Formats: sequence, C-alpha cells, structure tokens
Amino acid sequence: MPELTPEETKILLEKSYKCRQNILQMMRNAEGHIGGAFSSLDIITVLYNKILRHDPKNPKWPNRDRFILSAGHKCLALYAVLAEQGYFEEDVLYTYGSFKTKVAMHPEEKLLAGIEFPTGSLGHGLPVGHAMALAAKLDGLDYKVYVMLGDGECAEGSVWEAAMSAGHYASDNLVAIVDLNGLQVNGATTEIMDSSPIEKKFKAFGWAVESIDGHDFGQIYRSLAEVPLKKQKPTCIVANTTKCKGLDFAEGKFQYHHWHCEPDKIDEAINIVKSAQNKELENVRI
Amino acid sequence: MSEFNKNNKVNNAVNSSPVYDDARKFFANALADLGEKNRDVLYISCDSSLGASGAEFNKKFPERHFEFGIAEQNAMGEAAGFAISGKIPFIAAYLPFVAYRCFEQVRDDVCKTNLNVNIMGNNCGFSVSALGATHTVLEDVAVMRALPNLTIFSPCDGPEYYQAVFAAAQIKGPVFIRVHRVKSRRIHKEGFKFEPGKGEILRPGTDITLVSCSSMVANTLDAADMLSVKGIDAEVINISTLKPIDRQLINQSSQKTKKVVTVEEHSVVGGLGGAVAEVLICESPVRMKMIGINDLFAVVGDYSQLIDYYGLSPEKIAGSVMDFLKTF
Repeated sequence: MPELTPEETKILLEKSYKCRQNILQMMRNAEGHIGGAFSSLDIITVLYNKILRHDPKNPKWPNRDRFILSAGHKCLALYAVLAEQGYFEEDVLYTYGSFKTKVAMHPEEKLLAGIEFPTGSLGHGLPVGHAMALAAKLDGLDYKVYVMLGDGECAEGSVWEAAMSAGHYASDNLVAIVDLNGLQVNGATTEIMDSSPIEKKFKAFGWAVESIDGHDFGQIYRSLAEVPLKKQKPTCIVANTTKCKGLDFAEGKFQYHHWHCEPDKIDEAINIVKSAQNKELENVRI
Repeated sequence: MSEFNKNNKVNNAVNSSPVYDDARKFFANALADLGEKNRDVLYISCDSSLGASGAEFNKKFPERHFEFGIAEQNAMGEAAGFAISGKIPFIAAYLPFVAYRCFEQVRDDVCKTNLNVNIMGNNCGFSVSALGATHTVLEDVAVMRALPNLTIFSPCDGPEYYQAVFAAAQIKGPVFIRVHRVKSRRIHKEGFKFEPGKGEILRPGTDITLVSCSSMVANTLDAADMLSVKGIDAEVINISTLKPIDRQLINQSSQKTKKVVTVEEHSVVGGLGGAVAEVLICESPVRMKMIGINDLFAVVGDYSQLIDYYGLSPEKIAGSVMDFLKTF
C-alpha cells in the first residue's frame, strides 16, 4: 500500500497552508469562493505534488494526466497550487480582481497555462472529462483524467448522465473526486437538496468508490495512488471535508462559501491560518 | 382568394424533371466519406444512430461511433471533451434535444471554447410536424444565432448538405447544421461548389429581392416564376450560411431592387428575416417583409398542409410578395 513518509506529509501540509495564505493575499483585491477553495485545497495539493503525471514547463504534453475542476468556483485553490507548481509566476495570483485578470473567479483555459477546461456553470466537468478519458483510449495513451466535483454540484442531472456514461463505457482511466463539505451557497446540502448517499449513487452507476477524510494527506494519497480501484470501472473518491478548512471562525459555515474579507482583516486571517498550520504540524511525527 | 394558384405555375427550366434529395442520405454518405479521409472524425448519437445521418459512418467505423443515450447534456459535454483532445466530433440528434436541452453545454463548452464540434440538428421546421409542437422547431435560428463563434449552415439540397459536412470539419470552431427531413428538390447542378459564408443568386432579377434558405428555396424559386407571369422580375437568393451571413450579397441585391422579402420555415422572430434585417437596417436600409411563422407554436398536421396553412406554399409566397409590392 503506498504511504507518505512523515517528511512528505509535512511538506504537503506546509505547501497547502502556504496556498491558503496566498489565497487570502489574493482576497485583498476582491471577494472570493474561499469555502470550497479551502475544503478542496489539501486534495489538489496532493494531486499536483504526488499523483498527476504533468510538466509545468510543457503544459500541453499529450500524455499528461488531466485535472478538471468541475466545481470551477473553487479555482482559488487551483490557481494557488498551479503557481506553486511553476505553471506561472506567483505575481499573477495578485492580479486577482483586476481588469482582464488571468485569474478570474472561474477558470479560463485560454488565459492560463494548466487550466484544462473552463468551468463555472456546474455539472459540466464530468462529461468533458469522460470524453478526454475515451479519447485517451482511442489514441492508445495511458493518461488518466481527474475531475473534482462538489457535493452541491451533484444535484445537477448532467453529473449523473456522465456518471452513467462512464459506467457504461467502463472508463477506468476516469477519476471523480467529490469534495463533500456538506454545504452550498444557501445552507446545508442535506437541507437544500440532499445529494447523499453519494457513495451508493456512484456505485449504482457502475463506479468503484472509496470514502476518505479529505484533509488526511495519507488517506488522500493512498486512495489516489491506487486508482483505478477496480479494472473496468471508473473511480470515485468521496472526500469528506470541512468548508473553509484552516480558518477556524469560518470552518463549517455556509456563510463563507463566498466571502468578502475587509482588507484590514486579511492579516488577521493569515495569522489564523498560520496557527492552524502549526497545530496540524504537531500531529505529524517525524 | 389568392391571385396565384397551382394552374398558373410555370415550369422552372432548371427543374423540368426534378430530382428530390433525402438530406439524411447525403449526410450519411458525407460523414462516411469524411471519416475515411480523416481518422479524427467521430460520430456521437443520442439514441439517434439508426436511420439518421450517421448510419453509414457507424457501419464503417464502429470504434469511432459513441452512443450516449437519451442524455444530450452529457453528449454535448463529451463532444467538447473529444474536440479539446484533438478529435472532430459530429453530434446528431433531433434538433430541439441537441440544441435546446443542452443549450448551456453548447454555449459554454462548445462555443466559448471555440472547439471543432459539429452539431447536426435533425428535423428542422415542420419536418416531423405530425409529432406535435415539441418536435416542430421554429425558433432554432434565433436561439443559435446569438452564440458567438458558432457558424450556422442551412443547406437547401443534397449537394449542399454533402459539402456542408466537409466544410464543417474544416472550420476550426463549432458549426450547427440544420437538417430537414422532407425531401428537397435539387437546386444545384453537378460541379456546384459550396462556399461557407457565401450566399448565391439562384435567379437574377431587378424588381424585388427574395431571400430564402433550406426548404423554402425551392418554393421561393417557384413563387418567382409565378411572379414573372405577372411581369415581376424577382431576384432569388439562397442563404445557406446563416451565420456569418453574406452581408455583401444582401447589400448589393437590395441596393439594386430596393425591396426585400425573406422567406423561411421558421419564426419571423430572429431567424433569416431578422439576420437580413440586421444587415439592411445598418448598411443599406430598404423596406422589408418577412414571410415565416408569426411567433406561435404550430398546429399539428402533415407537412404540405402546414406549409400551405402558414403561407409558405409557392402560391402563397407569391401572393404575399404581390401584397407587399402594392404598398409601394
């Protein structure tokens, strides 16, 4: 079973929390979808550092793995990780909120290296990702396609159309990761439109499914390093996460799905994130 | 009582022994021939593969045919995913399902990305009117024309349908092709070359310009014949590319005749008439009349009944043109 060493875990944790700080720096300029960005950040950090076969210097390499952020509003997390990986200069992040910025509130593939497909409207990523997976097989390439969904997004019918399609085609080079933070814009997902049980639904559509703690780097790595979980089946990783993870006053509150932080409160928020990081580091035994 | 009836229809010299084309057969052959030449061409269906435009392709290249079932949102997203992976998908289904059900996928995943996705909207207009208003499509041009990057073809006969498929694959961005199910009278002679973005004068004239597309081209030519009996020399233009429309041709003809009538098996809201009006009102204003469906959901009936009922038969087109001319 693939395992992270404590040193590797420490590095991933530090990178993820550095990204949280950078996101807060971006939000000096404008409001943003911090809740989903912080809930998905640990997973996206593991993906780009440990799982995806990719090359920031050659972002269109034909046999690269693809990552599509179907829940496109979480893109602050993706931007921060892509910058950390060297897809573009970190300075680009801080153009957030400015006229014609390349780091828009939803990602655009024409603006920025590393964005595989533009998203924003929910329910679009899994159909597109599945076709990329089918195209890999047509072309005799062995890349995998990873699509991140939100649990609120799973109310969209097109998610299940695509889930049915991937099950039907036995597309075992497709991986869906559901960032299950339990909250959406207007409240708890169970109250707005209950998409649970996500695991059983994907299983019923012919997927191999595993549930993990989406903030446990070891679990994230183990599950993603072993895909496909079953031959001839697409993989779904249901990641249980905390909305706005790392910012204690906002954690688990739907009001922080989208947040406008007063500029003079940014430094305070960054300090809170730093404290959270230190607390997490205490749990990593080296 | 119209002053035109079937008895005063004159023979159209070009079509003294007319040939009628089944658009779907031309599409099927074109796709199969294109698939032979280009290994990146794929065919996507939504429980629409049998008897429709991809049947020949599927026989020859089953590995490049993807059936996604009755789930057009997914199918359109998959088409975009294939296209961004370097493939050239043709996705075909009943027009309302492949254009309206998945409209946001067309807009966001196909048009905004400017991908080479080719959408074949089967059974436009009153093609399958007996199935009722859900399957009768009278507003697709208005809806689809609003999308940036999208090219729209509306062929009128077999040779245009065949060549439109090849042209669509060559255009880097997305293309929407309107496919009529009712057999269309052959308009074009052998050796005809379809040019995307170009309209064509099928009948030169000096008194009035009649602009038409798709199924209405033959009826408009017949109406022009009837008008000639009354001493009216009508110019007939076929606009087989609705977007981008041939502004130059429309301006030139209207400047000559000073009167324009558009004829379409489509709503007068936002269709061919709207597209022509958008050109003329800005660039060479003349008085216009739009013949089409007047902003309504159609009654049920067979094709020829509806064409007559909604004023799109050659006799009724000629009558409407005469009424328009009397207002000058």
